[in-house]
Amino acid sequence: MSDIRKLTFVYLVLLALLALTVGSSSFDLGGFNSALNLVIAAAKAAIIATMFMQLSSGGILPRLAVAATGLWLAILFGLTLIGR
Amino acid sequence: MGASTESVAFDKPAREQAADTFAMWIFIGSEAMLFGAILLVFLIARISYGPAFAAASHHLSLPLGTLNTVVLITSSFSMALAHLFGNRGRWRASTWSLAATALLGLVFLGIKAAEYTMEFREGIAPVLGVPFTYDGPDPVHAEFFFGLYFAMASLHAVHLIGGIVVIAGMLVMWSSATQSSRLRRVRAIGLYWHFVDIVWVFLFPILYLINR
Repeated sequence: MSDIRKLTFVYLVLLALLALTVGSSSFDLGGFNSALNLVIAAAKAAIIATMFMQLSSGGILPRLAVAATGLWLAILFGLTLIGR
Repeated sequence: MGASTESVAFDKPAREQAADTFAMWIFIGSEAMLFGAILLVFLIARISYGPAFAAASHHLSLPLGTLNTVVLITSSFSMALAHLFGNRGRWRASTWSLAATALLGLVFLGIKAAEYTMEFREGIAPVLGVPFTYDGPDPVHAEFFFGLYFAMASLHAVHLIGGIVVIAGMLVMWSSATQSSRLRRVRAIGLYWHFVDIVWVFLFPILYLINR
């Protein structure tokens, strides 16, 4: 049953992070609201990927695919933003 | 065919599973490039027309957007349970979890449809040739915001519909499938479903929470 408890805990953490994002948006953080939102979104994505998608226990190949995706996204975003 | 592999290409189930999972992750990577490109367009526009985008964002319904995020996170939880139960051979529980996942996907689409209806009524839906009547500042760039909003939310919804159709198809063919093939399918659709959830995790703050 401990696995079910673990998944439930992950689920509650995700909901707490959502509450944090929505809650933080009602405070003016002087331009840091968007950055905080993106950090929380990245944290949620990382939690979903490692816990629900089992990225941490799935061997090297899935992690390689994720790293390749990250590399290509970095090229896409990096070169576009540099060229502005 | 091997004793417990589905394809003759693999001699061991573990290798087949590794290949399945790797292929799904490469597919997810290609999907991330698709969503990444449109997110990049949004990011550039957001940097260029910040005030117009912030004002336009306030016309979206934060309560409905938040509720939909809860629904989608819950559906991912339910999908993770389907996988867990399947792994333990508890197929009845796994089936119900899968059905709940698809049902929550439908709830998400229903709430999204209600939001779209409100936005069409308000005249802030610059799609399908509907007249755009926006009374806030900088309507030209606000229209760009709503155009991107509809494009991104709809692209996401299309992915969700795809997931629901696949789950429905799996459940229809459930009784005729072997246990190992059921588990294989749950694993694959699970990865896809969680990815669609991750996309929404990013779309929600960038669309709904600009300078609230």
